[in-house]
Amino acid sequence: MWNIFKNEWLYYSRTPWLLGTSVGFVLVLIFSIVLGNYQTKKQSERYKTAKNELRAQWGSIDAMNPHGAAHYGTYVFKPANLLSSLDEGVNSITGNVLRVEGHVQNEIVHSEASQMQSVSKFGKLKSSLLLQYLVPILLIFLAFRSISSEKQSGRLKLLVLQGVKPLSLVLGKTLSICLYGIGLLAITVLAYSLFNLTDLNSEVLGRTALFFISYSFYYFIITGLTVFFSARWENPTIALTSMLGIWIIWTIFLPNILMSSVEKWHELPSRNEFKSAMKEDRSKGLDGHNPSDERKEELEARVLKDYGVDSLSQLPINFDGIVMQEDEEYGNKVWDKHFGELRSVLAKQKKSYQLGGFVNPFISLQNASMGFAGNDNLHHQEYLVQVENYRRVFIKMLNDKHAFGGSKTGDWGWKADNDFFKSVPAFEYQPTVLASVFPHYRIDLLFLAVWSVFVIGLMIFGIGKMQVL
Amino acid sequence: MSALNIFLYEWKHFTRNPFKIVAVLLFIVAGIYGLHNGYKLYQNHTTEIEKIQEKIEPEKQKYLTQYEEGKLTDENRPWIDMSTPFWAIWNTPTYHLKTPSPAMVYSIGQAEQYGFYKRVTFWASPYDADMAEEIANPERLQTGTLDFAFVLLFLTPLLLLILLYNLKSAEAEQGFLPLIEVQTVSKNSWLLARTLFYVLLTALVIICLLVYGSVLTNAFNTAKDAFGQTLLYSLLYLIFWSVVYFFILKYGNSILGNTLQMVGIWLLFAFIIPAIVHQNISIAKPANLMTDFIEVRDKQQDLYADDSLFQQKLIDLFPEIENSPVYQDSTKINFARNRSASALVNELKKESIQPIVEESQAKNDFIQATYWFNPITFFQNKLNSIAQTHYNDYQAYRNEIQALIDKRTAVLVKELWNEVKVDKEKYLEYDQELNHIE
Repeated sequence: MWNIFKNEWLYYSRTPWLLGTSVGFVLVLIFSIVLGNYQTKKQSERYKTAKNELRAQWGSIDAMNPHGAAHYGTYVFKPANLLSSLDEGVNSITGNVLRVEGHVQNEIVHSEASQMQSVSKFGKLKSSLLLQYLVPILLIFLAFRSISSEKQSGRLKLLVLQGVKPLSLVLGKTLSICLYGIGLLAITVLAYSLFNLTDLNSEVLGRTALFFISYSFYYFIITGLTVFFSARWENPTIALTSMLGIWIIWTIFLPNILMSSVEKWHELPSRNEFKSAMKEDRSKGLDGHNPSDERKEELEARVLKDYGVDSLSQLPINFDGIVMQEDEEYGNKVWDKHFGELRSVLAKQKKSYQLGGFVNPFISLQNASMGFAGNDNLHHQEYLVQVENYRRVFIKMLNDKHAFGGSKTGDWGWKADNDFFKSVPAFEYQPTVLASVFPHYRIDLLFLAVWSVFVIGLMIFGIGKMQVL
Repeated sequence: MSALNIFLYEWKHFTRNPFKIVAVLLFIVAGIYGLHNGYKLYQNHTTEIEKIQEKIEPEKQKYLTQYEEGKLTDENRPWIDMSTPFWAIWNTPTYHLKTPSPAMVYSIGQAEQYGFYKRVTFWASPYDADMAEEIANPERLQTGTLDFAFVLLFLTPLLLLILLYNLKSAEAEQGFLPLIEVQTVSKNSWLLARTLFYVLLTALVIICLLVYGSVLTNAFNTAKDAFGQTLLYSLLYLIFWSVVYFFILKYGNSILGNTLQMVGIWLLFAFIIPAIVHQNISIAKPANLMTDFIEVRDKQQDLYADDSLFQQKLIDLFPEIENSPVYQDSTKINFARNRSASALVNELKKESIQPIVEESQAKNDFIQATYWFNPITFFQNKLNSIAQTHYNDYQAYRNEIQALIDKRTAVLVKELWNEVKVDKEKYLEYDQELNHIE
């Protein structure tokens, strides 16, 4: 097998069109990394400027009523991820700006895609675009004649007479072509690592390694199937057209169809329904601005009892702040219920879609790629949860200040000073750690491995029917 | 050999080639699936709009009953007085809806990236959070929906490739080409006729799919122009690829070489060029984080803090209030001024939106400048435009919302400063006026 492998690479090195194509591909892959890095850098700069600007605005509040400040609120922006230059995932589709304020959990808005007309259906020139769509095509073109050309030239008979087993030949050809794809992949990952040397850490390296493994599996599957077809069919054109057909079905048809189907199986509410349901649940509770609410009366009785006084005016604290926080706590339960259901539906959709990897390894590759790059919906949802947790801490600080900062009930003119506003922490995003989300991608890796085993099985059991003589 | 004979031979060749038949069938299935996806979205939008419209009437009726019964205040909210313009206009339900075009069945375009209904209030803006897209799985949006436009733009070249890839080169490889040259007038016209056969076959399939789509949403009757334009651009697109492939076939003599070139050109136009353009825009103009829009909060606070500036800005915007009865009465002026705040904030928001719109326009101009070498993006946006699912259609929708907000705040200021008393007739007048764009 080693000799077959060596011969194949010797052939590649002596084939001018392949050398030219390889150089072109390597340049485009490196170019995509450079552009991707530059874009991430520019986006990060914009993010930092916006973040600092917003923090400066918050820190410059001289004196303001804490509840007024809760309505004034702040904004958080979605930071660019270092691995975005490899695979941007859903980042251009999801919004970038999230308003953090009292009484409401907002949704992230102003996506990049909504800020201009349509450009590319398959995304920007990221490494993932080239590695997922173009490199497999190149591998198909390299592999579709690998065995049939040996048959047509009569070399196959010669090789078999010399003692080469057909399976070794097929495996050798597969591995040598697959290694060509893995070589391109390795150059991409290496270029990425070199350009981001200062930012590399075990988390990024771990993610990049899994990214590399996922693609390697896929390249083996594509190459193995094409070589197998080349061995089974006399006419190389049939092997080529069959593989192109499979490529179209795997990469263009099935992902679209399966994604649309899972949205039907696990339906999401419309925005109108979602908002109405939350409003309905919210109205059942305590409205922070509605003095006639029964729950407010209960709360009032409880607080008066706790402080051992008869009226709100006797309270040493500001009851309005307590009302606001109580309302927030109730609101949080409502948000948890509805946003929780939404996240649960999205998780079910993802799981169902991942199962599609059983019939289409490209789905597993796509999931693993954007997942390990930290840019899939799972990571996006983690980000949203972090922002919401921050919002709760942020609003509680303001409500507590309103309640216990020194003002009395009904004193809406009371203002907290600048020191207090400066003491409210800014939102700091903690990137999701791979170890915590890895179990979600095990199924993708498993399907890629199962497909690889299936391809090996095809070779072992199917190659016996190959016509040699 | 006449063109008719070549057509007849090609028909025989086609019917004996299961691979080509399967490709055509798959294309038809994908087309029908795509049309149904477009139809489903059209239906969803229509149903959602109907639901919203159903909510408007009872809400309006509730206030009309209040006027009829003379209950102009709310027991729980005593500050509300429906006889004043502020609360009457506040409680005049105004929604602006983007009704989907029946041609959406052909191209979903950017319809899933934007909101299509909006409640217009004093404090609204076309860039509010509720103008975001419908709730959807971002991974699905990223993968994209397989609509008819997708089938046309990305699968038509592949179908043509499968139908044409071995024309002439198969004969050349088998050594029949000299024989054919003897039998036909010219090798080129023979190749042209054969190519034309498959182009006409593809055109027929596309036309049938377009007609099927028009049956789903009645587009042929209700959006005749859109149907005609979609047909025209679909055929132009088909001709574009046919010409490209014809020249590859004309100058190529091997199946593999032709296939490689055809796939290469398809990858170049479908993936590489649009992806490079997209990447360049993101570098030149990264996603706008709307900080200009956010700054309105602070400008608003500054405005509130300075009474004389506030009043001057209000007079600059509405000079007629200087002659109003409220302006002459110092006891009422503060109250009216505070209630007019939304009109000034609306102006601040409009100023802040302008650079955002300009930046988006610059991005669009950049994309349009690449059309001459980026045909798929050109045709994609053309089809989106026809189906009214293009960025510009949603920008026009935003502009209409802004016009309604402008009108609402202008009416508020005019009525407020003239101390208009609102009754049922006046409320109905508001309802008429605030719901229509002039």
